[in-house]
Amino acid sequence: MKTPREILLERHQAIEPRLDAIRREVLASRWEPAPSNGLARVWQELFWSCRRTWTGLAAVWVVLFLINLSQRDAASARLAPSQSPAETIMAFRDQEALLRELLADRIPPLEAIPARPFEPKPRSEISRTTAV
Amino acid sequence: MQVVAELEPMPVAQARAGEAAAWDALFRRYQRPLYVYVYELVRDEQTGLDVVQETFIAAVRHIGSLQADDKFGGWLFGIAHQKCLQRWRRQNREASRQEELAGAGAEYETSPAELLIRREQETRFMELLTQLPVPQRSVLLLHFIEDFSLAEIAGITETGLGTVKSRMHYAKKALRKLLEENP
Repeated sequence: MKTPREILLERHQAIEPRLDAIRREVLASRWEPAPSNGLARVWQELFWSCRRTWTGLAAVWVVLFLINLSQRDAASARLAPSQSPAETIMAFRDQEALLRELLADRIPPLEAIPARPFEPKPRSEISRTTAV
Repeated sequence: MQVVAELEPMPVAQARAGEAAAWDALFRRYQRPLYVYVYELVRDEQTGLDVVQETFIAAVRHIGSLQADDKFGGWLFGIAHQKCLQRWRRQNREASRQEELAGAGAEYETSPAELLIRREQETRFMELLTQLPVPQRSVLLLHFIEDFSLAEIAGITETGLGTVKSRMHYAKKALRKLLEENP
């Protein structure tokens, strides 16, 4: 003959190891040893306590960095052949000098070309009217 | 086998002070009764284990709300009971499980130790327990497992004393009927 309590507790005897594990887990999470030095404590309080949030933010930043990097590479690839204005002017002058040397006998010197006198043209009244 | 009446005082004061060994002793004492109570209500092993774990965590966190140290057991079972209700509410099953009982019944006068069940009746006893509506099953389990008084059961289940008496009366009546049918 058994009491209801004995029957009930005996029926669930097999669950005891899992209950022991739960008890240990709860106690370990509550009374885990505190970190000894300050740096470890800061790490634990600032980072480790909300590690999922930090990991998520880090993942977002990595994605943004990769997107930014890929766009920068494409832009620099497009801009690579271009030169600075000073270099362009220099190259243009070099080409002009070379062309002048090659065609020295066909093109008259600049001093030989007569300068055309400046003749101011009347300003258009039509454009002014339409602008108004 | 643990006995219902405690010979040694439980180290509740030490637990309040944050001693891990005291919590270990308290949880060790109550883990299986608590699991049995929850399991017999929810009828699911994993849910039973989850509720026990949640109850332990809540107990450590809210020990400050415990009024009297000698009421620790009832307080702990009250947390577990509320966790079960929360789960039922979440699953929208509470309405179908709860049964309203009108009127107060007779006093429950016998001690759980006085009720003895023969080996051949054990299976039928467990079946009956499962068939009982949750409110009746709850009061019967609390009475059987920890020998809580009607007032303590009323506190744990957050119901009126009259309701607890009524539920206990009907549960006991059903159990007696069983034992008479299978002498």
